[in-house]
Amino acid sequence: MKQEPVLDDLALSIWEQVQYSADLCVKCNICTSHCPVSNVTDLFPGPKFVGPQAQRFRNPKEISVDASLDYCSGCGVCTMVCPHGVKVMEMNAKGRAKLYREKKSIPLRNRILGRTELQGQLGSPFAPLANLFMGFKPARIVVEAVMGIHRNAPIPKFSFETFRGWYKSIHQKSGQALQSDKKVVFFHGCSTNYFEPRVGKAALAVLEHHGYEIIVPPQVCCGLPMLSNAEFDAARKNAHTNIDSLVKYVKQGYKIVGTSTSCTLSLKSDYRHILDINTEEARLVAENTYDICEFLLELAEADQLNTDFQPVEVEFPYHSPCQLKAHNMGLPALDLMEMIPGVTIHHVDADCCGIAGTYGYKKEKYQIAMDVGRPVFEQVKATGSDVAICDSETCRWQIGGATGAKMIHPVELLAQAYGLQDF
Amino acid sequence: MKKYDTIVIGAGLAGLTAACHLAQTQQKVLLVAHGAGAVLLASGGVDLLGYQPVDSLTPLDNPLAALPDFLADNPDHPYRLLETEQIKTGLNQFLALTAQSGLDYRGQPDQNWLLPGPGGAVHPTCLAPTSMIGGHLAADGGRMLLVGFRELKDFYPKLISDNLNAQNLGQKSTAVSINIPAPLAGQMNVTPIELAHAFEQPDFRRAVIASIKGHAKGYDRIGLPAVLGLEQHAEVLADMQQQLAKPVFEISTLPPSVPGRRLFDGLRRTFTRAGGRLILGSKVTGGAIEAGRVSHIDIETASRSRSITADNFVLATGGIFGGGLQTDAAGRVWEDVFNLPVRAKTNRHQWFDKKFIAPRGQPVASYGVKVTPQFQPINGHDQPAAANLYVIGAALAGSEWTRGRTGNGLAVTSGVFVARQISGERSVS
Repeated sequence: MKQEPVLDDLALSIWEQVQYSADLCVKCNICTSHCPVSNVTDLFPGPKFVGPQAQRFRNPKEISVDASLDYCSGCGVCTMVCPHGVKVMEMNAKGRAKLYREKKSIPLRNRILGRTELQGQLGSPFAPLANLFMGFKPARIVVEAVMGIHRNAPIPKFSFETFRGWYKSIHQKSGQALQSDKKVVFFHGCSTNYFEPRVGKAALAVLEHHGYEIIVPPQVCCGLPMLSNAEFDAARKNAHTNIDSLVKYVKQGYKIVGTSTSCTLSLKSDYRHILDINTEEARLVAENTYDICEFLLELAEADQLNTDFQPVEVEFPYHSPCQLKAHNMGLPALDLMEMIPGVTIHHVDADCCGIAGTYGYKKEKYQIAMDVGRPVFEQVKATGSDVAICDSETCRWQIGGATGAKMIHPVELLAQAYGLQDF
Repeated sequence: MKKYDTIVIGAGLAGLTAACHLAQTQQKVLLVAHGAGAVLLASGGVDLLGYQPVDSLTPLDNPLAALPDFLADNPDHPYRLLETEQIKTGLNQFLALTAQSGLDYRGQPDQNWLLPGPGGAVHPTCLAPTSMIGGHLAADGGRMLLVGFRELKDFYPKLISDNLNAQNLGQKSTAVSINIPAPLAGQMNVTPIELAHAFEQPDFRRAVIASIKGHAKGYDRIGLPAVLGLEQHAEVLADMQQQLAKPVFEISTLPPSVPGRRLFDGLRRTFTRAGGRLILGSKVTGGAIEAGRVSHIDIETASRSRSITADNFVLATGGIFGGGLQTDAAGRVWEDVFNLPVRAKTNRHQWFDKKFIAPRGQPVASYGVKVTPQFQPINGHDQPAAANLYVIGAALAGSEWTRGRTGNGLAVTSGVFVARQISGERSVS
């Protein structure tokens, strides 16, 4: 087991740089001004208070100063708007882990929410039954009472066929899977595997359309749900499993592509900046991980993107999730979708849909998440469209649940425009 | 490499103004910034020139008329590079931009609004939101009631009213503090942003109005902290005036600034709706100048550096406070993206005046990048460092703004000047 870094270590690890970034805070309140959570509830005093301000009291040997930190949703808007380079969200994630370590107990509810993969493994084989149960209002009321998962929270439907199952037993055996010298590694994540295999199929079709053979190596949940529920040890275990599996391909010169902006952000940033994994392998994986749209846009910049789009006469709202913005890569999905003839995209200009991974599922945080997301929901509804687009799965479920819109990933629109798969 | 028509670096008022203007001329514009700029901390007003001479204690009524004297005293100030018509164009463009952004700014270059500040000082500003203009300290302004909330700890109506009265401005003000009604009642502390959200709820407004009404008799206008709504600000203000049957105005607060947030959000929306792309939270780690042109810049993404290019580049990264200039203990001062030559003293003892509140400003605040009359940074031989690079706002050498109060005026006018130059708009109307 890796040791916790010590504060007085002079050679600063990446995590320590994050921690010491509290010293860069000039208390300007720009983060407070933008925090989606503190703007709708007084249960959370805001990122400046629980982040850089509390950080100086967060001595590893003393108990945590402020339990309100648990109301941070982890959306990361604070880190994004800070003009001084303070890593507020990262600091808060670490502070929350400390908080729960001291409590010596993480609620069963949080442990379950953190284990998307286990949910999938248990739910997918019994998908029809599981979906029926979770769609049954009285059952949800019991789940809320026993587990603390809000009865109206947007629980996705299990897919009976997993993405891996389809890939191995249908796609590869069909003889149609592309063999090529050009290869990419696909990190599907839990949502594509257990809930929305159609997103993975669309990505795979689009990548094969560009002549790439897809490798789907062994992989586990990226660990983000556990990380945001303060289970750092479990998240680190998953991170190491993924790094060990993926780095072999990176060393052969292949890039890793994912459809979940949350999973890919974990591989790119959280493993190192929050989980403090400072290995060469972690760096290699981070530097070679791409969001699917980022990857395709780089093809476009190198004049290698197929532009054989068929016109798609649609007018859809698009929400760019917080986890996507934290990639700092701009809005590649928007750039790509705007290349499709006939497509009009209304970019939602609100920061956060509220769900923030598992946050909005919790009974005590559900209403906060809905209040945070209201501007997004209103803008989506105002377009009158019955389809909306978003890159991140839990955001799709949240927006879909709140607005009734059918939610798709940008790559599904691309797949349709290429004539590969209808959404 | 991703290519844009123009890349603007920095999301303060200068960068936002230039980026909006360019995006509206059909250019493909990227605005990239380490974070949101100081517009979020500011009062929301655009100060053109507040005092001349800068150590005068009397605010200017007519900033434009005082500019020649100001430039005679401060020959290095970047205003020297702008003709009167170009200053007027810049301010008019800002008014047009804010109107398109759903914000109601008013003002003209030959007149300052004299607005009460959060400490009770007079704040001379040229363009301001109508909600704040209601506080203009005209001689015939009548009696003002200044209302604060006990739970809003950074806003003391009594301090403002005592200080205003002590200045004998020809009008009397009285202060009253009220308790915050539900749903915020019972909180020890609230932020202006929380209050602004609460004011968008009709029930909350009704309760506040009921508390104010008992005190309002005999007063001609009512001042409140600048918390009267965010997105629905115009409706909130109109409703308050109607229900109180008196003019209501806003007084700027300590940060977080609600008028700053309205301005930032409005301009950001106008920019993205015009097709502009925004990357916030990404540091520009460097830029390359090759054969007299900027070839590309490098930005920090979540896990790797990325190069981006454009036909033109606009540096709006601010001065020492904004992070556009960096310093070290040896007295070096450098521009952070392109390492452009800066005008600065290398002896650290000369950086600061002996007085903290220096009558003529802190020398260090005027350090910045030297430019040509076209706002292009110059190299060691007084030639443009790169044919496609421009500098605007507080990054400019000579832009000391704390005393003369020229910060946002320079941001807006230099931003529009450079944007028009890049887009090829020649007329100055």
